[in-house]
Amino acid sequence: MSELFHQFTRRKFIFTSGASAGAVLLKGCVGNPPEPNAGNTLSRETAQPAANFSPEQAPETNAVKLGYVPIVEAAPLIIALEKGFFAKYGMTNVELSKQASWGSARDNVEIGSAGGGIDGGQWQMPMPHLITEGLITKGNQKIPMYALCQLITHGNGIAMANKHQGRGIGLQLADAKSIFSKLKASPTPFTAAQTFPAVNQDFWIRYWLAAGGIDPDVDVKLLTVPSAQTVANMKTGTMDAFSTGDPWPFRIVKDKIGFMAALTAEIWKNHPEEYLAMRADWVDQHPKATKALLKGIMEAQQWCDNFDNRQEMANILAQRAYFNVPVDVLIPPFMGKYDMGEGRQIDDRSMAALYWKDEKGSVSYPYKSHDLWFITESVRWGFLPKDYIVNNATKARALIDKVNREDIWKEAAKEAGIATSDIPTKTSRGIEEFFDGTKFDPENPEAYLKSLQIKKVSV
Amino acid sequence: MTFTQRTSANHKLDKNLIYQFQKQLPELVPPLIALVSFLVVWQIFSWTPGATLPGPIKVVQDTWILILYPFYDRGGIDKGLFWQIWASLQRVAIGYSFAALVGVSLGIGIGVNKTMSKALDPLFQLLRTVPPLAWVPISLAALRQNEPAALFVIFITAIWPILINTAVGVKEIPQDYNNVAKVLQLSKQDYFFNILIPAALPYIFTGLRIAIGLAWLAIIAAEIVMSGIVGIGFFIWDAYQNNYISEIILALVYIGAVGLLLDHKC
Repeated sequence: MSELFHQFTRRKFIFTSGASAGAVLLKGCVGNPPEPNAGNTLSRETAQPAANFSPEQAPETNAVKLGYVPIVEAAPLIIALEKGFFAKYGMTNVELSKQASWGSARDNVEIGSAGGGIDGGQWQMPMPHLITEGLITKGNQKIPMYALCQLITHGNGIAMANKHQGRGIGLQLADAKSIFSKLKASPTPFTAAQTFPAVNQDFWIRYWLAAGGIDPDVDVKLLTVPSAQTVANMKTGTMDAFSTGDPWPFRIVKDKIGFMAALTAEIWKNHPEEYLAMRADWVDQHPKATKALLKGIMEAQQWCDNFDNRQEMANILAQRAYFNVPVDVLIPPFMGKYDMGEGRQIDDRSMAALYWKDEKGSVSYPYKSHDLWFITESVRWGFLPKDYIVNNATKARALIDKVNREDIWKEAAKEAGIATSDIPTKTSRGIEEFFDGTKFDPENPEAYLKSLQIKKVSV
Repeated sequence: MTFTQRTSANHKLDKNLIYQFQKQLPELVPPLIALVSFLVVWQIFSWTPGATLPGPIKVVQDTWILILYPFYDRGGIDKGLFWQIWASLQRVAIGYSFAALVGVSLGIGIGVNKTMSKALDPLFQLLRTVPPLAWVPISLAALRQNEPAALFVIFITAIWPILINTAVGVKEIPQDYNNVAKVLQLSKQDYFFNILIPAALPYIFTGLRIAIGLAWLAIIAAEIVMSGIVGIGFFIWDAYQNNYISEIILALVYIGAVGLLLDHKC
């Protein structure tokens, strides 16, 4: 009997302990995991009070689907949604759709949201112009797009694989030219990657190489490779350089995969970066909703530019639904603190990712002169034919007038009550200067092309 | 009284369980040993200096939250792995069902008609080798819709083994059967249901079984098309973009487990 009792208790013990373990497991399985950023309110319940807009400003629709790529350029869109700035202006049903790649974003905007795609979103330049012209679409179908605002400046850079450490590769390449010529003669030439051909990141590395006397079309191999693959290849040593955006530069240095040769903030300070652009048919059908979107984004951009908000911003962006990265890889670049590797440190908030204002004035306003630089640079590398630039860029300007809708930006800014001093009066930001002293005068893009030593186009 | 009753009942249950377990043991031991030794070898290799692939221990550490909370839902695409798998399974089911329907009927048609078989065989052999990712731009350009394009990628990847196997199965009906059918002067309908289908069935099922694996393989390509959706394929793509190898490995385990289950059910 006692033995039996013994057995029973033991069994009972096993049973109850098993049951409680099961209950714990079940509780774990069914519920949500503990918030990694506990203490920060991440819910959209912290929404802004609805703005008192007059009925004639009420948007035609409250729904729109915008695509984004999980890099810091997307922050104004995500913040506008999460902090309730879209809802404040009546856009209560904004859907942000993470795009698998720039190619997918292009595919999805071709389809439009009616077919399950997107109405617009975040773009590298001049993708809206190329899509409008039907140059990168399927069947060369022309899908008119409007560029509505610039999302960000800075936040990009050129990373180098570790094996090039200590060889004098930095912003200036004068001392490093022999490395490139040596590699060119070898069976494995200097190989560099960007994420989509003939747009921003491609242009940054091309400009930087060419300014250092290296022809990106002849002296190196420049490829389009997804970020993760590039980083993996940098680890194994088959990739030499990578033109990329935050948070990759920080991760590359921190994981000791490579170092940063240059930031775009060094190559061209306060440069234009990625833009919000949408299908023209959507904007034409929903002019008020477009302005409501813009007002939300402008307010988000101002919020993002307050450095006191950047910890919260990093917490929001780092979530799995958005960037899916640890918070601590976002903070240093957001605060302008770049560990460049090779012992070089940058601590300068004017070189951090900026969303609303930089030293030159408005970041958000889409200057037509910047569109013109992107078109001119496309002509420089033979991505667009020369006729865009001849005759003082008549063709380019016509295209820009069609795509760049700074007029909508201005209307939205006025409705949002932005101070008149923050609304640019000219569509040109004037002469731009690069790190190597080259000047781009929007009044005369041909002169800029002529002044460049290395180029594919003959002017 | 009740006490003794319960213990005896428990005893019975225990014995039954142990008996069941003992019966299953020989079945379970070899795969278990294989699994454990695979994990050990993997772990040892991941310890070699310079290794970049995380070992099983590291994978579990990295993905602990995902393992513990398969059902969590924080909204948007931030959902537990169960939901990711579930969403993908639905896509696979639709694409696969279409593939089965079209594949079997087309396969029978081709198997019966010699000229058609000759005409179409090279085309099929060419198309069946196209990898799922290559179908993405083609289906997008052709369908101009997001979800149909994704389902089409699954459909087109899965259809070939069904189609080809069915066609072969129909072609390989023993001549004796056909002769019997002729002697008995079977109607077309009788021939179809009593000779053709039963004779080709083993081939058809082999095709269907291979196709289930392929349909599952196409899920990553299909979900890249759709972008920004809940699904294991986009989950893997997202992890790949961030170089989260541990998460990819965990997702592969899930996919493998589902594949195994699907295979056993067939």
